[in-house]
Amino acid sequence: MIKKTLEEKAFKHLKEKMEEGLLPQWVLTDPDIYELEIEKIFGYSWQFLGHETEIKEPGSYVTRWMVYDPVILLRNRNGEIKAFLNSCTHRGTQLCTADRGNKKTFTCPYHGWSYNLDGDLIGIVAGNKVYGEEMDKSEWGLRPIPKVESYQGMIFGNLDPNAESLEDYLGDMKWYLDILLGRSGGMEVIGLPQRWVAKANWKATTENFAADPYHVQTTHRSTVEMGISPEDPLYAGYGHQVVMKNAHGINVITSKTGKARVPFQGTPDSMWPLFEQHLTPEQLDIQSKVTVFVGGVYPNLSFVSPIHGTEGDLHNYLNFRMWRPLSPEKVEVWCWFLIDKAMPEEYKQAAYKGYLGSFGPSGTLEQDDTETWARIVEVSKGLMMKDKELNYNSVSNYLMGYKRVEPDENFPGPGTAYPTTYIDSIARSMHERWLELISKDLFVKEESR
Amino acid sequence: MSSDVKKKITPELQMEITNLYYQEAYFLDNRKYKEWLELFTDDISYKMPLRETVEGVGVENIADDSFYFEETIKSLSTRVNRLYTKSAWVENPATRQRHFITNIIIESTENPNEFRVRSYFLFKRSRGSTIDIEEMFGERVDKVRLENNQWKIASRIVYPDQSVITTMNMSMFL
Repeated sequence: MIKKTLEEKAFKHLKEKMEEGLLPQWVLTDPDIYELEIEKIFGYSWQFLGHETEIKEPGSYVTRWMVYDPVILLRNRNGEIKAFLNSCTHRGTQLCTADRGNKKTFTCPYHGWSYNLDGDLIGIVAGNKVYGEEMDKSEWGLRPIPKVESYQGMIFGNLDPNAESLEDYLGDMKWYLDILLGRSGGMEVIGLPQRWVAKANWKATTENFAADPYHVQTTHRSTVEMGISPEDPLYAGYGHQVVMKNAHGINVITSKTGKARVPFQGTPDSMWPLFEQHLTPEQLDIQSKVTVFVGGVYPNLSFVSPIHGTEGDLHNYLNFRMWRPLSPEKVEVWCWFLIDKAMPEEYKQAAYKGYLGSFGPSGTLEQDDTETWARIVEVSKGLMMKDKELNYNSVSNYLMGYKRVEPDENFPGPGTAYPTTYIDSIARSMHERWLELISKDLFVKEESR
Repeated sequence: MSSDVKKKITPELQMEITNLYYQEAYFLDNRKYKEWLELFTDDISYKMPLRETVEGVGVENIADDSFYFEETIKSLSTRVNRLYTKSAWVENPATRQRHFITNIIIESTENPNEFRVRSYFLFKRSRGSTIDIEEMFGERVDKVRLENNQWKIASRIVYPDQSVITTMNMSMFL
């Protein structure tokens, strides 16, 4: 086994600075750190694969990636959800290249080995004639993703067979996912996820989305100039930032008055009885006041439930995005649109258009985000920024609210809730989790004399 | 409909519609977005679906349920107006862009003032002082209509050839 190393002195500086609310900048795109992240974070964390409504029928499948591991996610004949490595066991060839479809068997184009929906090897071209009776087909089935579990229709996979259960991993985040995904009895994915490659580091994009409402007033200032968003620079800061274990977090953005700008995020009042039915009084209270939910499930899934419209009317929807690292400086973004199954059909269509106008590669808000992601990466190779000894004080500032904002004990939801979203609490917890994971069982190299 | 009833695609018509597209590319590449918007009819439907990878031969690989753009004149106007603000950072500093439009094939329709036009596009973009050149390519299918003696685009569907977009965003119009 190859042990990755981290220089002891750099590691010490890193810990010290993080305790002061600072993050040394060299870690962002450092290639060795990146390798550690892939192996130690993505090798052991729950990663989002898809939503149950993307594979509705027996035989429905989608192909996905857990960073560099190709995955076939499917529903078998009994309606069970399965996930396999998308690779033929014979010579490792990628088995299926389609984005989605429905079939009974997967056949490798190289030598023709074929597998059923349970991953069993069911066909070998000229089997007994070339391999003889000794060949035990049951030993050559598709390799299952070690752990596959769902919560509120969201399917996750984990490459670590000893990983804690998805529900334990999500912890208090489940309470908020119950609002986002369960408020009306279930959400559905519309269409395919949009996919595009951005010049960005995955840590910066997850942080930008899950932990940073403070950027909204400047990055998305064009919406203020156009009179869509309020002039008040604090407008995205009203509400609570909630930090949970395993570095999950959510921002519950309300408004200056603490009340909703429009009740229940501008959903039609026909939906409100469903919310009452499916949510606890505390969850309903939050849902009635929120303008935007935005947050993330560590390491690389983020979500936003905003209110947007391009035709004057406001619509609410749910957008999940997975940040798939491709290199220290590249991210493939996968962007899903979800809406309540029970929502009127017209509203679904209008909300989809509102989504296209705001998020995803063509969304006007997200376009401006891509510019800042790229600008962070483009300057990250300089000697000053790469200096691990920190002679130039190349540290990023995560001091917002640090040791000066106390949690709000009266917030009705679980987790540690701070009474503002202009605070770096989620970001700092993501950094702590990051360091914990990449330095786990790490052989720290002794300094040479 | 028999071919003799169809309006003939004359070299003049070919030239006029080709010029419409050259004019459009000029407006976009020179950031004259408001002028560009004038080239569309008020009932414009402007769509860009996703291309997906599908197994099989002769199988449709344009997703019918997934889009990058699904716009009306109103939502296009919002997008255009935003590009005239000071804080649409993705285009400030401005990207440098070129739309290359080729392979224009015109077909007549039942409406003598309306034509179905297929064209190829190659879009190239340069940003800041970065050395990466971004590109996108594909096909457009338009309905072009003669309105008050002017050629206008009455509907457009943009078909990208990539299933994973490699421009870092889609702030461009195609």
